[in-house]
Amino acid sequence: MLADESSDEVPALRIANCSGFYGDRLSAMREMLDGGPIDVITGDYLAELTMLILGKDQLRDASLGYARTFLAQLADCLVDALDRGVRIVANAGGLNPFGLAKRIDELAAGLGVDVTVGVIDGDNLTSRAEELGFPGALTANAYLGAFGIARALDAGAHVVVTGRVTDASVVVGPGIWHHRWTESDLDQLAGAVVAGHIIECGTQATGGNFSGFLDLPRDAHPLGFPIAELRSDGSSVITKHPGTGGMATLDTVTAQLFYEIQGRQYLNPDVSTDLGSIQLADAGPDRVLVHGVKGSKPPERLKVATNTLGGYRNQMEFVLVGLDIEAKEAWLRAQLEWALSDRPPSEIIWTRGPLPQSDADSEEGAACLLRCVVKDPDADVVGKPFTAAGVELALASYPGFTLTAPPGRPSPFGVYRPAYVDRDQVVERVTVGGREL
Amino acid sequence: MSSQTPQAIRRVPFGTFVHARSGDKGGNANVGLWVGQIPEPDKRAQRIAWLLGFVTPQRIRELLPETVDLSVECHPLANLGGVNVVIEGILGEGVAASTRFDPQAKALGEWIRSRLVDIPEELL
Repeated sequence: MLADESSDEVPALRIANCSGFYGDRLSAMREMLDGGPIDVITGDYLAELTMLILGKDQLRDASLGYARTFLAQLADCLVDALDRGVRIVANAGGLNPFGLAKRIDELAAGLGVDVTVGVIDGDNLTSRAEELGFPGALTANAYLGAFGIARALDAGAHVVVTGRVTDASVVVGPGIWHHRWTESDLDQLAGAVVAGHIIECGTQATGGNFSGFLDLPRDAHPLGFPIAELRSDGSSVITKHPGTGGMATLDTVTAQLFYEIQGRQYLNPDVSTDLGSIQLADAGPDRVLVHGVKGSKPPERLKVATNTLGGYRNQMEFVLVGLDIEAKEAWLRAQLEWALSDRPPSEIIWTRGPLPQSDADSEEGAACLLRCVVKDPDADVVGKPFTAAGVELALASYPGFTLTAPPGRPSPFGVYRPAYVDRDQVVERVTVGGREL
Repeated sequence: MSSQTPQAIRRVPFGTFVHARSGDKGGNANVGLWVGQIPEPDKRAQRIAWLLGFVTPQRIRELLPETVDLSVECHPLANLGGVNVVIEGILGEGVAASTRFDPQAKALGEWIRSRLVDIPEELL
């Protein structure tokens, strides 16, 4: 592999991101397609929490379980992407990648275009959760790597939708496909993982959620989504389309490198990446070079994201104003807990904001919030019996009793737990155009 | 003699030259802390050396009293000019179950940047 970029034979692959989570800017796919030359559009739709949301969707309707916003983006962009030879790779399949693929085929038929859809699955271990040691899991998905995505692209897939692959894999996969990397090209894979980690959260690499925001233009112009120009040696340049908001600087890129990491080793199914080896360099306006990344063998076991239904929760937020805040709080707590004592929720959690200033010249300045969160395995316990107990105190408790909002219904909550399985327990499946490879 | 001179220090917000980004992984939070770019590379190197020495689990527990009973790990990444701090269990059983008012620890970094710390005058 040649280190000198000028003698690089294979041109860099321009990989754009258009989504950092399920709910990110809907117009981003169109912006990335039209804003300048790119080769691949990728998107991350699956946070830990999203798997639970999709799991709940699927409990309601078995044909759901994928990120529906991705389908809306494709409805707008599929024809132009096919026209321009831009491939699309996203983990939007969630719990039901074949369900999503079917929808994409229907969409293409409606638009009068031919599309070859690739599907990566085999990550979903929910039906075997008991046997594999995560009983009661509502969702259990192994984090898959990038080689399946590369095979699907190789087989001609225009659009690849996956289940639970690692966030970086949607970037690493196109890199493997384009640069013909193998499992032993660990430094290249590690470089691609770092590029993937930088762009996987969308505008968090270009000035979003950035503690140096005072250096940004800070106008109303939307922040541009990031692009990684991925080279054959695994190095990359992080950039964005010209004229878009935000910036791509050493600091905005460093910010994202520090996001959701643990120790020095960043583990992926294809490679362990040494975060301590990353070198950044300024490569011009809105261009940051990422190089020098070292990889080593991936971990023996695969990580599994499991979500179990933890129970139901509900909450009320009380406003305490003026004098004797602590006495007001104490009385309310005694009253509400007594009212709940027949069938108390398994957890009652009180939190109060800081005490208000004295002699405040606004009502809000004289106020603080007292929140009561309740949890129980039984939805009924944290439903009406809880909210009624609070509301019935409206004229019967501390002076100035008021709530920030009418109490709502109980909502189910999940508990996320990482788990690990042997690789031979997980069989990745690559299906392109309905045919299993 | 000069080594005996007490170093001039100033009490200023930690975020005066330290950047942060925080987030969640299950019930754990991570806060990346690093020194932002400045035109003077030597001064930045001094700031980084100070930061890497300053950030310890004990210091995190002082700056973020909510973490006092939690396990805290600090992983230096000198190449990025900073350190990654992992706070175990601050989010309880994870974002969906957490009763913390910032259940994904998105603003933990901005909180720590607002705390006052003693910084050697020469680094400011």
